Amino acid sequence: MILIISKNNEVTTTAVIKELIAMNKQFIRIHEDEVFDINTIKKRIVLTSHRNQFFLDEVSAVWYRRGAIEFNRMRYQNQSIDRYMFEVQHWLVEYVLKSLEGKKHINKQSNSHVNKLLVLEKAKEVGLDVPGYFLAEDMEDVIVNQTIVKPISGTPIIDDIKEQHNGIMYTSVIEQKSESDFFISFFQDKIEKDFEIRSFYLNKKIYSTAIISQNDEKTRIDHRRYNSEIPNRNVPYKLPAEVEHKIDLLMHSLDLNCGSLDFIKSADKFYFLEINAIGQFLGMSNACNYGLEREIAAYL
Amino acid sequence: MFDLSNRLLVAHKTIQTTDEITMRFFNLYSDIFITKGYNRILISDLGRNSSKLYPLELYELIAELKSTSIDRVLENYEPESKIIVQEYIDYLLEREYGFITKEDWDRNFSPLSYEYQDYQPISNLFIEVEKLTISETLIQSIANLGIKHLAVFCRSAASLQELISFDNAFENTPLEGMEITSAYTTELTKDSFALLQRQSQRIYHLQFYQCQEIPLLSNTESRFTLDFTKDTLAINSCGKVNVADFNTNMPKVLEAINHNSCLHKKLGIDVAGNIKNCPALPQSFGNIHEMTLEQVLRQGAIQQYWDMTKEEIMVCKDCEFRNVCTDCRAFTERSHTNKLGYDISKPLKCGYDPYSNEWSDWSLNPLKQQAIAYYGFKPLNGKK
Repeated sequence: MILIISKNNEVTTTAVIKELIAMNKQFIRIHEDEVFDINTIKKRIVLTSHRNQFFLDEVSAVWYRRGAIEFNRMRYQNQSIDRYMFEVQHWLVEYVLKSLEGKKHINKQSNSHVNKLLVLEKAKEVGLDVPGYFLAEDMEDVIVNQTIVKPISGTPIIDDIKEQHNGIMYTSVIEQKSESDFFISFFQDKIEKDFEIRSFYLNKKIYSTAIISQNDEKTRIDHRRYNSEIPNRNVPYKLPAEVEHKIDLLMHSLDLNCGSLDFIKSADKFYFLEINAIGQFLGMSNACNYGLEREIAAYL
Repeated sequence: MFDLSNRLLVAHKTIQTTDEITMRFFNLYSDIFITKGYNRILISDLGRNSSKLYPLELYELIAELKSTSIDRVLENYEPESKIIVQEYIDYLLEREYGFITKEDWDRNFSPLSYEYQDYQPISNLFIEVEKLTISETLIQSIANLGIKHLAVFCRSAASLQELISFDNAFENTPLEGMEITSAYTTELTKDSFALLQRQSQRIYHLQFYQCQEIPLLSNTESRFTLDFTKDTLAINSCGKVNVADFNTNMPKVLEAINHNSCLHKKLGIDVAGNIKNCPALPQSFGNIHEMTLEQVLRQGAIQQYWDMTKEEIMVCKDCEFRNVCTDCRAFTERSHTNKLGYDISKPLKCGYDPYSNEWSDWSLNPLKQQAIAYYGFKPLNGKK
């Protein structure tokens, strides 16, 4: 039985599940609004939520997609007992999570949210080209029109920034220096790109897509600023073997077996930008007819 | 734009001299799909979902540009043709069909796989019913087969209650959308459609025939579109081949390259319960009152036309529209069969001639009259 940890209405999860059904593979999908109790039945550990119940030992594979598997914690009147039982429960939960992560899996709950700054350091270590970057609280070292700013956090989305609105931070070129100081921010050399490349990594296999947006000013810096009138052209692409090998080393060093990696091609160089382990990839997959939802379902 | 005739003159080949200048190469994007017709080509931009017609000579030129540098290709043409070649290349760039590299093609751009993959055993079911009802067994089969789209032709006038119940009968099934064609009853008013809007989930298109007075116009805020016609419709009104129905999108084109675009993964049930590939086809593979759809599929016979691509169909195989066309295997010109006895004739209701590139009214074509009479369609001049 395959365990899928995801969120409600997550479209990629649904697409993979359709493939699993076609392959006659059993699965359980769990959501962010589920909280599990850990119990035993005849010496076997059983996990129960309001909508799912399964034995730990019947899980053959785990796909960590998004969200998290959450557990109930008992509280006790006596504070000393409560502290002690907190620890007991901690080890029990850890045992369950580690057991799940020890099974055949695609990504893990514990490390799927990667730290952009650490990833860039690792990328340099494995020999990938990385555009120069620095952290700063002012724009003293910023060269106007040659430096970009982007978020340090994994998601560029600010939920409910005002009533009924979410904010999204796009990667932008600094066109004018700000005089004042600000919260420590991530700056990077702007690379004149030929085009962008999005590579999907799944267990040593790499499926790359060239994202051609150069002809169109609107999408020049960040391809997510999608122009629907003349959409970007997304076509199959094969990175040079040595770049693919370095991707493999990087993913290993981060203990990730699945994720999307962004590159910029500039002349004969491939600049690595970032990894997103839980990003959307079906758009690229469909454009290139890669059938990645099927590849994931087949692996699980 | 270009006219669609050929204008290029090839120069007599001379011994080529390699220039020391850097050669330029034209790279065609892998999602640009070209269908070669008898006189013209259709370039389908699968990334941008559009198709355009071009002269045949552009096909040859693009082929040359795949194996030879732009500079070498230009050498092959007479001076006045060189200008046209350059014009073509500029146009290909302007349409963003490709890009230019120096020294070599960019070989990291890999080909697009033309494989067609789809997880569902059946994509569409088309049923003809006397009254708008459906049996529990059939609903179960639709769920088992993961059918997403249902088209219904109802021979009587469906009431509001029947429409709501029919939609709601598919609660907890994978069915995502249904379109219903039905006779019209004046009981259906503007208010009925407002209520249906609230109480249905899957209907996305409703078509009513025998409607003398249109009760309301389809509005864009509605979840379903509405059509009304005074005519009397029957199931054999289907199968017309029109440019308006040609659709460029990657799954449809890939399906057309690999399978029959009319019948692949489709099932039909006629009014008598006969299970067919399409309800308008004569051959039945079982009756729904005696067999389930799953059983019929397991027999393996209903799939006979699924892999018949246009390459096999007479006339269509020379047509530039063949990979964006809807095809129709139910009504054909009945002129050719293959070794297995399968009908490989051109769709009857197609008025396009790929040899003359002209569209005409199919029903007036003298060569089609025999087939028209065979299917019992209204003959020419109204005479029997």
